[in-house]
Amino acid sequence: MAQFLQQMINGLSIGSVYALMAVGYSLVYSIMSFSNFAHGGVIMLGSYFGFYLLTLAHWAFPAAFVGAALCSAGLAVIVERVAYRPLRLRNAPFLYFIISAMGASIFLENFVVATIGPTFRTYPTVLPRAPIEIGSVYIGRLDIMIFIISAVCLALLVYFLDRTKVGKAVQATAHNARAAKLMGINTDLVITLVFAIGGLLAGVAGVMFGMKYTVYPQMGGITIKSFIAAVFGGLGSLPGAVIGSLILGIMETLISGYFSSQFRDLISFTLLIAVLVFRPMGLMGKATEEKA
Amino acid sequence: MNILETHDLTKTFGGLTAVEDVSFGVRRDSISGLIGPNGAGKTTVFNLITGIYKVTAGQVVFDGKPIHNVDPHKIAQAGITRTFQNIRLFKRLSVYNNILTACHGLAGYSVADSTFGTRRYREQEEQLKREASRLMDVMGLAEWRDKQAVSLPYGVQRRLEIARALAVRPRLLLLDEPAAGMNPDETRQLMTLISRIRDEFGCTILVIEHRMDLIMGICENIVVLNFGRKLTEGSPRTIQSDPQVIQAYLGEGVNAGA
Amino acid sequence: MNWFYIKGILMLAGMNLMAVLGLSLLTGFTGLFSFGHAGFMALGAYAAAWAGVRMGLPFLVALLVGGLFAGLVSLPIGRLTLNLKGDYFCIATLGFGEAIRLILDNVQTFGGARGWPGIPIRTELWNVALICVAATLFMVRLVNSRHGRNMIAVREEELAAKTVGIDTFKYKMLSLFVSAVYAGIAGGMMGYYTGFLQPKMFGMARSTELTIIVIFGGIGSVSGSVLGSVLLTALPEILRTFAIWRLVVYGAAVIFIMISRPEGLMGGREITLEAIRRLVRGRRAEAEAGAGAGTGVGEVRR
Repeated sequence: MAQFLQQMINGLSIGSVYALMAVGYSLVYSIMSFSNFAHGGVIMLGSYFGFYLLTLAHWAFPAAFVGAALCSAGLAVIVERVAYRPLRLRNAPFLYFIISAMGASIFLENFVVATIGPTFRTYPTVLPRAPIEIGSVYIGRLDIMIFIISAVCLALLVYFLDRTKVGKAVQATAHNARAAKLMGINTDLVITLVFAIGGLLAGVAGVMFGMKYTVYPQMGGITIKSFIAAVFGGLGSLPGAVIGSLILGIMETLISGYFSSQFRDLISFTLLIAVLVFRPMGLMGKATEEKA
Repeated sequence: MNILETHDLTKTFGGLTAVEDVSFGVRRDSISGLIGPNGAGKTTVFNLITGIYKVTAGQVVFDGKPIHNVDPHKIAQAGITRTFQNIRLFKRLSVYNNILTACHGLAGYSVADSTFGTRRYREQEEQLKREASRLMDVMGLAEWRDKQAVSLPYGVQRRLEIARALAVRPRLLLLDEPAAGMNPDETRQLMTLISRIRDEFGCTILVIEHRMDLIMGICENIVVLNFGRKLTEGSPRTIQSDPQVIQAYLGEGVNAGA
Repeated sequence: MNWFYIKGILMLAGMNLMAVLGLSLLTGFTGLFSFGHAGFMALGAYAAAWAGVRMGLPFLVALLVGGLFAGLVSLPIGRLTLNLKGDYFCIATLGFGEAIRLILDNVQTFGGARGWPGIPIRTELWNVALICVAATLFMVRLVNSRHGRNMIAVREEELAAKTVGIDTFKYKMLSLFVSAVYAGIAGGMMGYYTGFLQPKMFGMARSTELTIIVIFGGIGSVSGSVLGSVLLTALPEILRTFAIWRLVVYGAAVIFIMISRPEGLMGGREITLEAIRRLVRGRRAEAEAGAGAGTGVGEVRR
């Protein structure tokens, strides 16, 4: 039982990081209807930003954290400007966006390999390694911090989207970009904003991911899991992305805890396929019949 | 005798009822009209007939056989085809290739035939090309032959869509607002064309249209839909003077407004 | 540059071409994007190696076994996913591709994740060339038949294709099947070329690379795929001295192509005998327009 509880908490912690990343995929999808595969690259660089702000610039941890998030936001906006905006302007089909995203992701990953190098780097210790003991359950301090920070970020996001005027403009654009434009919403600005938000969360997620594991150029590939979570929850749905992420996180830790970690990824992809086949709109999405 | 009949046709989307208990018949070799205000469910009826939507309740009977919930391509092969309100051409293909593609049903050669270039392949392919050229001539599209469909003037695109539909050799042709976006002159030409198609290709035609001059000018029988239900049915003359129809088009204002 | 080196590049280009041709049918002609074709290559590679090494079948037969096995597996996958909307189909293929790789990681009889060494070297320049020529001819014939036109119709406007009586599902299946067979044969050749197989040779990166070559060559152009495969295989090899920066350039180039010349090298046109003849006669303008109306090998697409 104690082991189970511990796994659950681990799962929630990793699931909440997935959620931060998945929300980035979902936000972009809700507005532009394509899967932004460059997001993984932004997360990876976010992790590097945090790493260097801590080790080279010797910033305090909270400052490095915010710094990494801001840098990632800037990077995400640049990616949008360079790789997507020209396509958007001529109404290119979604697949060009996906290819362009793949190009951006190859570029970012190999740019890091070429400049920084392919080695794995370990974050300096920020929190004491000793776990907190509650009864017979041991909880890592890092896991708790990750969970809390993720929850706060997501709460801020929900507040922003639901309570502020700008947030409502984002929602309106997601609902119907053309109508939103006609109503006087600057959809260009909304898109920039959405990428900035996705980037911010990517930076936060990247730093926490780096702290829990390591930093390396290919870590963007792991974020494909968060993409699965976004699909699982229903692409374009924020609550879906969060719930999908938590379920995936818990499932993964339980599977690697009780079976083997070899199995873990296979199960994730099987889940992806099963969702697409049986409920392509995901847990929270709505079914639609194509209009003629 | 009716070539097409619908019996209590009903379609709901979630909680919304788009079409409810609609029953009507289309007489063989006739030109019939389907009219009604915006949102009356006309295009939905077309989508149900052509199998694009699954029927919630009721039946569609074509030539004595029920065809509702049959796959769209099978319905097309059975002899019903259509055009679309928002024109759906094979955009980047040439005019010729749009028609040639749609002729495919006239040939039956296999992948192996085309791979080895058998006689069957060559003969049938020759036949398809002749048919495509013939259709282009008949529909006055020859001068546009190698132009990309998307680059054509609007009126020509509509004509191409009809030509492509005729390549299927339909027995029933459904036209969804063929005159939309046309000027009066083009509309007159279209009316002649529709009558000619009926005579030369021997197919029955059902038209959705907002242009009353067109509908009243060529249709023998008109079905009026309103709010997803059939309001009435009859000859152009009776429809024109039907107070229900007038009210549906002019709105509640006629009674309550003044 | 010695002959040995050039030969290596040509063989690599040929194997890439095989996979790219198949994907070109699916993506370029039928309009379906797959990010899981490396999975079909993996299936073909392992099945072909199994047929040759374990069953003792001759090389060409073993390749065929590999191709057919990949094709066979594509059928249930297609059945499940081909009705999904465009981007969801593409995500599903990604899932299948990765799942295939992860399963192979756990098949111990083929060495699992550690790999399968000791596959005899059978792939030679002449047999790669032979297979590629046959595969290209088949593809040209296919896309110029009514079957190919029906696939193009699916790409252009699926709903309209249905209403002119095209069984769009069947043609999507056919397209996926043929492309899987091609990928399988390509994978098979690869195993007999390197003499070693490992699931991670067939990751998402390879699927992406194939798609990029198809796009680079031009959607809906067989000759574009051929040109794209040769150029994009040779270029990184020639840029070897450039080493680590070449993938950076590659990524940037992909974005650049997407935003500046999305129709690819050939833009849906074909290099046909007819077009070349006209070009020689100096009627260049006509050749441009007439690429759509030729009667040559690769006819009409735009």
